[in-house]
Amino acid sequence: MQKYVARRLLLAIPVLLLSSLIVFGLMRVMPGDALTVLMGESGNVGERELAKLRKDLGLDRPYYEQYGIWLWQMVSLNPGDSIFTNEPIAVSLKKAIPVTLELAALAMVIGLLVAVPIGVLSATRQDTPPDYVGRVVAVSGLSLPDFWLATLVITFAAIWFHWIPPIGYVSLWDSPWRNLQQFLLPAAVLGFRLAAATMRMTRSTVLEVLREDYVRTAWAKGLGGRIVVYKHALKNALIPVVTIVGGQLGTLLAGTVIVETIFALPGMGRLTVEAILFRDYPVVQTNVMLVAGTLVALNLLVDMTYAWLDPRIRYR
Amino acid sequence: MATVTERVVPLEESVEEIRRGRALLATLRRKPLGFLSAGLIVVLVLTAIFADVLAPYDPLATQPEIRLAAPSWAHPFGTDDIGRDVLSRVIYGARISLWVGLLAVGIGTLAGMIIGLICGYCEGRVDLVFQRVMDAVQAIPGLVLALAIVSVLRPNTTNAMLAIAMVIVPGNSRIVRGAVLSAKQNRYVEAAQAIGCRHPRIILGHILPNVTAPILIIASIWFGNAILIEASLSFLGVGTQPPDPSWGLMLSSTGRAFMEQAPWLAIFPGFAISLAVLGFNLFGDTLRDAWDPKLRKG
Repeated sequence: MQKYVARRLLLAIPVLLLSSLIVFGLMRVMPGDALTVLMGESGNVGERELAKLRKDLGLDRPYYEQYGIWLWQMVSLNPGDSIFTNEPIAVSLKKAIPVTLELAALAMVIGLLVAVPIGVLSATRQDTPPDYVGRVVAVSGLSLPDFWLATLVITFAAIWFHWIPPIGYVSLWDSPWRNLQQFLLPAAVLGFRLAAATMRMTRSTVLEVLREDYVRTAWAKGLGGRIVVYKHALKNALIPVVTIVGGQLGTLLAGTVIVETIFALPGMGRLTVEAILFRDYPVVQTNVMLVAGTLVALNLLVDMTYAWLDPRIRYR
Repeated sequence: MATVTERVVPLEESVEEIRRGRALLATLRRKPLGFLSAGLIVVLVLTAIFADVLAPYDPLATQPEIRLAAPSWAHPFGTDDIGRDVLSRVIYGARISLWVGLLAVGIGTLAGMIIGLICGYCEGRVDLVFQRVMDAVQAIPGLVLALAIVSVLRPNTTNAMLAIAMVIVPGNSRIVRGAVLSAKQNRYVEAAQAIGCRHPRIILGHILPNVTAPILIIASIWFGNAILIEASLSFLGVGTQPPDPSWGLMLSSTGRAFMEQAPWLAIFPGFAISLAVLGFNLFGDTLRDAWDPKLRKG
């Protein structure tokens, strides 16, 4: 197992290096830079001042030098400052990461709480009305765009209940109730979408596992339905579900931008997208690499979970 | 010997195509949801093709005197903030969504297929290098990658398509690679190699026909996703640009701004996106049911 983990970590290095090259390259070939955007915001800035600013920020150096400097900053865990706001990136991340993590965790909890029981019910009652309802809900969840669902949820909460989510982010530690009011709706919107994919996967894998010999043996031994389904079948059916959930968690770390925008939550997704639009190179590069690193780590974690779920799996 | 192969292979291919066509028709007859999805896609395609005939008004024509008019007989989906007919815009929006889906999935699938075929057939170093590049692209979140590519190329519908195609390539290449690795184990590939067939001929004539099923299944599922990503990019302001009637753009611009005053501005474009994506998702499932040997009954 240790050898396997070490090999996977070694393989992750070239992948992350390539990702860093792609994101660095993309940012550099974008038309205009942060200074052009800044100039547009602050009116007329002379060519000489612009050249001086470029020099101060190191943007006049050759690309390979800029890449080397940035890579060193990443390795030494000091990603530098934002070009646009001058704020240290570490500080921006410290504010944004808890928002995204809380949103992702809540969405995951809601998604799993909905998906696994309905998926199991759908499988154990195959081709009956509960199964049809579960499947229709799952396919609808995959088809509804989250920005549409979020817009509708806000609109109808306002029209029918005269309620709008509190504006201005409040942290969980400052006011847990207000924070929950802010996060519940966006997490439910994201959770519904996550639940759809997980529900489908749970249904199909439970269906497969229920036809296995050991499940038939469990039934033959006279074990109760709950024990057969939840103790014997579900644990073995969870491997593909864990793969999906791992992938979803990775997507949530940067893919919540639209929901964050609609619900005015200052998370990682919004920070990254705003940085792309403002050509804030260091912020984009750091955020993308952080997400890429997390995705690689999550994939490894997911693979390691397989061995725990199914003791027959051994890594060498 | 070579002559025999030349005669037999096209016959085998056409038999396989007929078998697949029959399997799909049988599944469509057996599964009402599959039939419904095919119907939805046909309606969507016809709407896009005949948008000029079906749309009651010019989607760009403004009538400020009837701005934000509620749904009525004259304007069944209401009008937007500058008096444009929402139904006509939704109908023309089908054209943009289908066009984006078709080109993005076409380019993404073709590129993914070429890379997957090369990786699966050659294996070794070529495979290692390509797959690490694909891993690196996949490690970047799809929407962020698409957003960055569109920003590089300039925000418009065509560039949104190219960006979505880039997002599609790694996943597709991996699926095709897996299918090629499995198809390579077949005796007829070994036989083709033994009689001295050239690599391009083995790949195109013997392996490709055996991996078209997974390619088509994944392409149909990606079609729905491509429509969603285009809508998301337009929602963020970097996809289709105003005044073109993209469903995502309609939701982000007027839909959100007037959502309490005129909820129909958000409801109808969103409903159109959902129906289109639903159609392709369900059709993808149907194709899988019909063509995936593990799921085929009897």
